[in-house]
Amino acid sequence: MSALLEVRGLAKRFGGLVATDGLNLDVASGEIHALIGPNGAGKTTAIGQIAGEIRPDAGTIHLAGQDITRLGVPARVRAGMTRSFQITQVLMNASALANVALVEQVRQGHSFRLWRPAARDERLLAPARAMLERVGLGARADVAAEDLSHGERRQLELAMALATNPRLLLLDEPMAGLGTTESAAMTVLLAALKQEVSILLVEHDMDAVFALADRITVLEGGRVIAHGTPAAIRADAAVRDAYLGAA
Amino acid sequence: MRESPRQIFVLVASFALLAALPWIAGAVGRPDLVTLGSQACVMAIAAASLDLLMGRTGLPSFGHAAWLGLGAYTVGILAFHARDLGPPWDQWAVQAWAVWPLAVLVPAALAAVIGALCLRTSGISFIMITLAFAQMFFFLFVALKTYGGDDGLTLRRRSTIPGIAPRDDVAFFYVCLTALVLVLLLLRRVAASRFGTVLDGIRQNERRMMAIGLSPFPYKLAAFVLSAGIAGLAGALHVNLFRFASPDLLHWTMSGELMVMVVLGGLGSLWGAMFGAAAMVVLHAVLAQWTEHWQIVLGPILVAVVLLARRGLWGALGGK
Ligand SMILES: Nc1ncnc2c1ncn2[C@@H]1O[C@H](COP(=O)(O)OP(=O)(O)OP(=O)(O)O)[C@@H](O)[C@H]1O
Ligand SMILES: [Mg+2]
Repeated sequence: MSALLEVRGLAKRFGGLVATDGLNLDVASGEIHALIGPNGAGKTTAIGQIAGEIRPDAGTIHLAGQDITRLGVPARVRAGMTRSFQITQVLMNASALANVALVEQVRQGHSFRLWRPAARDERLLAPARAMLERVGLGARADVAAEDLSHGERRQLELAMALATNPRLLLLDEPMAGLGTTESAAMTVLLAALKQEVSILLVEHDMDAVFALADRITVLEGGRVIAHGTPAAIRADAAVRDAYLGAA
Repeated sequence: MRESPRQIFVLVASFALLAALPWIAGAVGRPDLVTLGSQACVMAIAAASLDLLMGRTGLPSFGHAAWLGLGAYTVGILAFHARDLGPPWDQWAVQAWAVWPLAVLVPAALAAVIGALCLRTSGISFIMITLAFAQMFFFLFVALKTYGGDDGLTLRRRSTIPGIAPRDDVAFFYVCLTALVLVLLLLRRVAASRFGTVLDGIRQNERRMMAIGLSPFPYKLAAFVLSAGIAGLAGALHVNLFRFASPDLLHWTMSGELMVMVVLGGLGSLWGAMFGAAAMVVLHAVLAQWTEHWQIVLGPILVAVVLLARRGLWGALGGK
């Protein structure tokens, strides 16, 4: 049984800097797979290549057996995989609801309608409201994204990614900048998602990583230095030196 | 998007004032104000169409005058050849219902091809390549001696509209005003549609739009084509207004003026383009009487408005 996501021999240089160095990675169906490593290890660059924003110098990427190495970002989303961003990317002057409704609209694929108003279209609003409810933003649906708190924007970021109805979510530091309680809430939320979507999780919050991950891959200098179960990673001396250090 | 009570008041007052312009012009004994009003309406249509690109989609085209000029020349050239054509073509070639749609379709069709090329670039390159294509059309019409070259092409009489005398400037003003209202209502409808929502998203965060599965290109191209078509209509009205088309209509300075109108009115504000266009047309007329170096005076005025009212005239008039 092949994995949902299969990355083989992925490589990327920025000038003299090797950001990804022969990366191999599998995400099984129904799995939360954590990708960790120190700052500058190449985690975001790896996510960028898997999502299709950055063209790798070498290597292949398969999603559910389909070679997606040459597909553009939108085509990969349609194939069932999307990402969230380390730095929140939402439409700031639109409401939370409008942001998610826009995703719903794109997913439904009828964006060449030039006449009927979109803002009152229940076919978009109803599923968007349900999605906001799920990520815990139900009460804040009509607030403009720019007026949401940082934590709420992280929830919105997740809601937008989820609304594409992916089989695989690439989450780049969903807990970035969250307080302890907010992080705990996000952890609960992600754990609940596990039923229906596989996740490749980049995260610095080790409590969250060890609570959520089925498997962990550790990157350093663009290379995998360890991978295995959380227990095995916790026990790994090399990882401890490179990264976990004080943890 | 929904207009605030204050904005609705400003709009109603502005359109009432425009609608009353022929009486006002009569009362103060300045019939030339009617032509100025028509010109403001025509430029407002062109500026509003550019705002769809610049303000809504985030595509700063520096070649928008090309579509204005192509619309004008479509009407002018068809009328020029009308006499050589046999019936019923000779009649159709001067009928508004037949040639004005062509003045929309010709620029739109060319924009489909040119837009497909220009939209492969972005940022400064997009500005430069749109400018280059527009200048190409400019030099084409300068070189076309049959259609007057440098000197421009005269339209012997206005396109025929049933029930309207071709020499009736007041009636023609109302034609322009009606066209402006219809174009603005259309653009407002488009802005609030699913398509308009996507354009908004592309402007604000193209990366996010791709990450939710949207390929931006077809939508940008559609906006490019739609905006060129509307500018073509403005061109058709322009050539009828002055019974004259010249390569100046396609010159890069005209593209620049349209951009200034959009920014002056309030980028992306839809209604603002109208105020920006009216202000430019009026300032142009007033300053040109005053001094031939009117542009030197205009510059500081524009800088002042842009600095004082950062959301343009529409922001200043309509509030938030
Ligand atoms: N576009 C780029 N051009 C040049 N260098 C880049 C570019 N993007 C990333 N890098 C470099 O590649 C290396 C990996 O960066 P990346 O952002 O992938 O790290 P990361 O593991 O996500 O780090 P963090 O934990 O801080 O988010 C870094 O040294 C970074 O400076
Ligand atoms: Mg990163």
